[in-house]
Amino acid sequence: MIATYRTLLVGQFQQASQYRVSMFLYLLFSLIRPIIFLAAWSAVAAARGGAVGGFTVADFAGYYVCMGLVLHFTTAWNAYEFEFEVAQGRLSPKLLRPLHPLHYSVVENLTWKAFTAFGLFPALVVIAITFHARFETQWWNVALFVPSLLLGAALRFFLGWVVAAAAFWTTRVNAVVTLFDRTAFIFAGQIAPLALMPGILQTLSYVLPFGYWIGVPTDILRGGASLEQSLVWMAGQVAWLIASYALFQIVWRAGVREYSAAGA
Amino acid sequence: MSAIIEVRDLRKTFRVSERESGLRATLRAFVKRRYTDVPAVAGISFTIDAGEIVGFLGPNGAGKTTTLKALSGLLYPTGGEARVLGFVPWRRENAYLQQMTLLMGNRSQLVWDIPAADSFRVLQEIYKIPDEQFRRTLEELVELLDLEPLVHKPVRQLSLGERMKVEFAAGLLHSPKVAFLDEPTIGLDVSMQAKIRKFVAEHNRRTGATVLLTSHYMADVVALCKRVIVIHRGKLLYDGGLAALASRMAPYKLIGVTLRDGADGDGLAQYGEIASRDDARVTLHVPRDDAPSRAARLVNDLGDRLVDISVEDPPIEDVIDKVFTSESVS
Repeated sequence: MIATYRTLLVGQFQQASQYRVSMFLYLLFSLIRPIIFLAAWSAVAAARGGAVGGFTVADFAGYYVCMGLVLHFTTAWNAYEFEFEVAQGRLSPKLLRPLHPLHYSVVENLTWKAFTAFGLFPALVVIAITFHARFETQWWNVALFVPSLLLGAALRFFLGWVVAAAAFWTTRVNAVVTLFDRTAFIFAGQIAPLALMPGILQTLSYVLPFGYWIGVPTDILRGGASLEQSLVWMAGQVAWLIASYALFQIVWRAGVREYSAAGA
Repeated sequence: MSAIIEVRDLRKTFRVSERESGLRATLRAFVKRRYTDVPAVAGISFTIDAGEIVGFLGPNGAGKTTTLKALSGLLYPTGGEARVLGFVPWRRENAYLQQMTLLMGNRSQLVWDIPAADSFRVLQEIYKIPDEQFRRTLEELVELLDLEPLVHKPVRQLSLGERMKVEFAAGLLHSPKVAFLDEPTIGLDVSMQAKIRKFVAEHNRRTGATVLLTSHYMADVVALCKRVIVIHRGKLLYDGGLAALASRMAPYKLIGVTLRDGADGDGLAQYGEIASRDDARVTLHVPRDDAPSRAARLVNDLGDRLVDISVEDPPIEDVIDKVFTSESVS
């Protein structure tokens, strides 16, 4: 499998290198949300005497810089493309090869993230310096962040495939994907750090899988939680990853039975 | 010979929504959908032996592509059974996928942005083709399909015919034992069609691969298939030799006669039914069994007036058209 991935990565790199402009736009997408919310919360904090719920402008900057990093490395857009693949029959050749179609998406995600990461890091450093970002990161935060980031990415990836599988039953899966994304937007920790979410919304963020995608790795990296709390969150990530993988297996098997290979 | 493809009572029904035209019908359908079951394949059975090239014929919507998709593993059937190389296709086991290919003339499986040579490398890895076998097969395909100038250009820069040749190579790199070819020459010019046909025949000869081919170009079928399976409205109408189909559905031959003094054809009606007249040439329908004696009589009776005479089977298009029209093979 390693050799297969290596070859697929080379092929994907060759392909991705053709699309420099879209790579730049993807990078912009990774950054634009954190910057907008950072600017908004900075204004609110300034208006309230320098802090909101214990978060100063520097804390918000630390949070959104970390979130920019997490968002970039965990976002998966395969669900948006899957509708096109099913409707146009482009899934068919992939289904008929002795390699699960999922692997192509993994490679595609890895490639684009690697390409755009070169622009992301300097941009985040500039934001951190501009807003005097504060991090309370300790050595164990960094040690836990890496697996937590991978868990968040895998969780988002499988959830994306579960949602994408709706394309087997409906021709307009983008409506479903958009609903998923908007829900995630509220509960994943993008609008505000999860610690600032009001009562029921905060509870829902940790009950639903969304907080484990962005909020948890972000808080672990910036040092926003104790070691014990971080480990409990990571256990939640593992639980949701197992659940989403199981769900993916169920909907995928049911979905390919429905696949009509239209247009293929 | 052992059966490589076994199909028994295969069925596939699609559920499609339908509504009448007009705004009222649109609003009604928005609230309550109406569905109809459309049987695309309605219980067909056949077997194909190793190394055969079989033509799978039928008008548009007959169920040919649906059958091919089910046999390749893309579609789950509604009922019936099928085994290809001993595998149930729709289980899509890797051991099966490694031994078969589905090539669709109107679909691309190559990555458009990179040269085909790079896609070939990816396919080598996916199909786990050993280096030596990959090199040998690729050399063979490059030679047979004259691919050398094409494989290093990005696929999107290739013409339709060039792309189809490269698609063939991509689909056959892993030396499949079974190839499902769905309209492999569609949209290609006459010369390219002939090249693809020649390639399929040569590939079959060299590798012994079993081929099930659909095509609306009868030239493909005549050139490649001794046996044809004809389906219509999802049901099997005929399974047997192409020549036998012609003699059963069109029990006549065509005698073409070119006369030195023009083709008014007067008097020729006694030799057979006049099918057409074109300048100095008259074409006669004659019963198949009587064709040799009628031709001999024509040569004898017309003497110096005769410039040319030919005895031919009716065009296969006419035979097939007759099958589709009558919806049965007597």
